[in-house]
Amino acid sequence: MSTPARRRLMRDFKRLQEDPPTGVSGAPTDNNIMIWNAVIFGPHDTPFEDGTFKLTIEFTEEYPNKPPTVRFVSHMFHPNVYADGGICLDILQNRWSPTYDVSAILTSIQSLLSDPNPNSPANSMAAQLYKENRREYEKRVKACVEQSFID
Amino acid sequence: MRMGDNNEGGLGTSKDEPQMNQDEMILAQQRQIEKEISDSIPLVGSLEPLESLNKEYLTDTVYLEKVKDLAKKYKFMRRTRPDGNCFFRAFSYANVEILTGKKEEFEEFYKLAENSKNALVELGFQQFTVEDFYDTYMEVLKRIKTAPTVEESKNELHTLFNEQGFSDYMVVYLRLLTSGQLQKEEDFYSCFIEGHRTVADFCHQEVEPMYKESDHIHIIAACAALNTGVRVVYMDRGTGKSCTEHDLPEGCTPTVHLLYRPGHYDILYP
Repeated sequence: MSTPARRRLMRDFKRLQEDPPTGVSGAPTDNNIMIWNAVIFGPHDTPFEDGTFKLTIEFTEEYPNKPPTVRFVSHMFHPNVYADGGICLDILQNRWSPTYDVSAILTSIQSLLSDPNPNSPANSMAAQLYKENRREYEKRVKACVEQSFID
Repeated sequence: MRMGDNNEGGLGTSKDEPQMNQDEMILAQQRQIEKEISDSIPLVGSLEPLESLNKEYLTDTVYLEKVKDLAKKYKFMRRTRPDGNCFFRAFSYANVEILTGKKEEFEEFYKLAENSKNALVELGFQQFTVEDFYDTYMEVLKRIKTAPTVEESKNELHTLFNEQGFSDYMVVYLRLLTSGQLQKEEDFYSCFIEGHRTVADFCHQEVEPMYKESDHIHIIAACAALNTGVRVVYMDRGTGKSCTEHDLPEGCTPTVHLLYRPGHYDILYP
């Protein structure tokens, strides 16, 4: 059955294949266009470099009028990522606009890895270390990077 | 002492503190409230006699007086769902409904709509996403325009505006057109924006996102975008026995009539 949400997701997928942004990829799961798997590669010149972080994106029929639920499956250590993988990012909550697509979501999360916002922490330990002990922060992040190879 | 400090000993294990995901809890509660509203009120309701307003104000003499005044000018009303999109949905619906009986004017409006996508893309809107809303918007207009009789056009309009997918796309596209209008006439509109925000920021935060309520500035820009005038009839607890009328843009001959009660818009019919 074609609904606006499903039709739109097909478009999102097509665009992601034809014009893929660097360092991110995503695709619907085999039997459900409403659930996607995605990968974000850790941005260069950040402690996340070389990591391959997996995520799931769950859409509702209200997409693109409401944002999808995006979650890291890979273990993350980041000031704005909750222990359950949920992401604290304005465009996924109150600043969502229907003009965003999957490509925009993934690139926004990718830049969140480079530029955490420690003032709105989802992981207060990560936020604190990011502000006060950058070396320890990077050490913890690098452990995630290494774990991302195994996951 | 922060929660995180207690976990210091757990270094090396992958256990961060089990912080509750508050964003999701807030969102879940918000969704529950929205669901209660959407289960009980249709996106756009049927035509009702204006006197149906009395039921809401059985013991409220201020409002009852005002309904009496309103009834001198308007016979019917159509309620919209109070979901923050009511202005855009009501305006869009009422505008097309008026056009259903007027072939030439509908054609003219259809042409204006056809050209609107390129204007948005030229303003810097992303073609890919705009196209999605535009295609649906045009499909809805076309289905209403090509129905064999005026009555069937009106039925089609009512059906489509009550299907969430189509209805919300109509709202989004009008929001985008409104945003485009604001950005096109940036110099003019920037005077009306509160706080230190650019017109573009205002559009991203208050106009384009769904469920954001409309102010005066949205209405003026939406009217300009659709080349239509609207009369907003204000009914509130203010003194006086009559409702206040505002024509937007000022001095126009309004075709669409909306009833405004604090926080909400419904459609009025003479």
